[in-house]
Amino acid sequence: MNASHTSIITDRLRQSEIFGDLSDLDLIAIASFCHEETFQEGETILTEDAPADRLLVVERGKLALEKKVQLGRHSTPRNATVGYVGPGKMAGFSTLTSPHIYSTSVVCVEPTRVISVDGAALRSYLRFHPEAGLQVMNALAALVADRYRSAINTLTYFLSIVSHELRSPLAAIENYLNTMLGGFAGEISPKQQRMLQRSILRVTDLRALIGDVVDLARMRPEQIQADFEWFDPGEVGTESIEDARLAAAEKQISIKVEPPPRFEPVVGARRRMRQVFTNLLNNAIKFAPPNSTVHFRAWYEPDVLVFEVEDEGSGIPPEDISHLFKDFFRASNVGDAPGMGLGLSIAHKIVEAHNGQILVKSPVNEDNLTGTRFTIRIPRNLKTPEMHRREWLAEETEDEVIVRG
Amino acid sequence: MEKKQPYILVVDDDPDILEGILTILETQLYRLATARDGKKCMEMIAQEIPDLLILDLLMPRMDGWGVIREMRSEPRCANVPILVLTTVIEDASRRRYELETGMMMDIQDYVQKPPRPEDLLRRVEKLLTK
Repeated sequence: MNASHTSIITDRLRQSEIFGDLSDLDLIAIASFCHEETFQEGETILTEDAPADRLLVVERGKLALEKKVQLGRHSTPRNATVGYVGPGKMAGFSTLTSPHIYSTSVVCVEPTRVISVDGAALRSYLRFHPEAGLQVMNALAALVADRYRSAINTLTYFLSIVSHELRSPLAAIENYLNTMLGGFAGEISPKQQRMLQRSILRVTDLRALIGDVVDLARMRPEQIQADFEWFDPGEVGTESIEDARLAAAEKQISIKVEPPPRFEPVVGARRRMRQVFTNLLNNAIKFAPPNSTVHFRAWYEPDVLVFEVEDEGSGIPPEDISHLFKDFFRASNVGDAPGMGLGLSIAHKIVEAHNGQILVKSPVNEDNLTGTRFTIRIPRNLKTPEMHRREWLAEETEDEVIVRG
Repeated sequence: MEKKQPYILVVDDDPDILEGILTILETQLYRLATARDGKKCMEMIAQEIPDLLILDLLMPRMDGWGVIREMRSEPRCANVPILVLTTVIEDASRRRYELETGMMMDIQDYVQKPPRPEDLLRRVEKLLTK
């Protein structure tokens, strides 16, 4: 590489988002293992999951970052654009982070000229020049944080739109089905009744599934805590049983309710708690044998409210228990039971946002190794946002009195 | 004296939801009317004040939050009971209303779609007899 070429590359590196803070000496050294390349529209430059052997800094043009998206195991994978990279920006930062595998593909969307930095040489240079290494890593951390934030915002926005678009037609279908099943649109035969019931069940499942996927993005503890209010847990429990009623009837499963003598109000996210109970009940019904009993118990301890859901199903394999609350996890013995593996992980997130615990015991019955029991413990001393606000106000007033006194 | 037939206005931009809801309500002795957006809803209310308003939230031209805001600031219909019927979850829509107006959302009932027919009839009857 001749001197003028090196100085051009050094200059471009100085203007880039990742090498901008480095000294001239570092830039000249790094330029020695860089070369320029030109790409045409449609060319794939870096491939997701391939070894990350170089980093690209865009000089001019535009690159798209793409991720493979595959819903379920059998659908065709598609590429979704997750961002664009223009002049001064870089792509392929995985080359700097272990295990050095690209996390996205990079595709050229218009004629583009890039500086390609040799990954192994760059890593080795940064290892022996820790100050430069630290600066590059700082720039990298800021960049990743920025990409992460914008990805979350896009996702939340996208999901709120998608969720409404998906839910509206389902609500209309379900409304018609309910109306017909209720006999409001004329008499129906037993066979039609059965088909309508099945349709409602399938549509309800689908609606819950959409809700789950959308919820996953909104499941941050502070968002759940913002909804804390006083509510009657008995009422919420009854609603959850109503949510699960059809699924239970379908398998002739009876839900045996064992409530405390009297329900007392607690603070929590009412709608979210209903989701926890409904998810656990549906889960129990899904894995319980036909004609069995699902137990739904509640009682108060001095500091916590306890709920239990127990089924008489085949239990959870011991090796699966520790993964139970992970997103998209499905136990190895679920067979054909429908679901995406989100119900329990959502319940877990909600209970955690309440500073509570969710415990699982399986098998419950040691003799024949059957049954699974989920126990939820919710503290009784949680506060609503309004209670927090009043406390802060009171503390401030107190401070003022002390100062004045 | 014979009791007057209650007049219910149902507002939703989805014609299938309207038909489904009407099919349920028609089994009772109600006088029913429909509107497909918030503007039309306000025009109809200007002509005749309903005994109950069943209101969707996400609609074109004027949304349900706008309808609630206008009705509550208009003395003639400030007391008309409103049952919100929507796919939007309740706490999210209350929060949005409070953010936009600085006031609590003054409605009498909230049902997330799809409603259970018997439950809807029960709630409607309760609001009409209040």
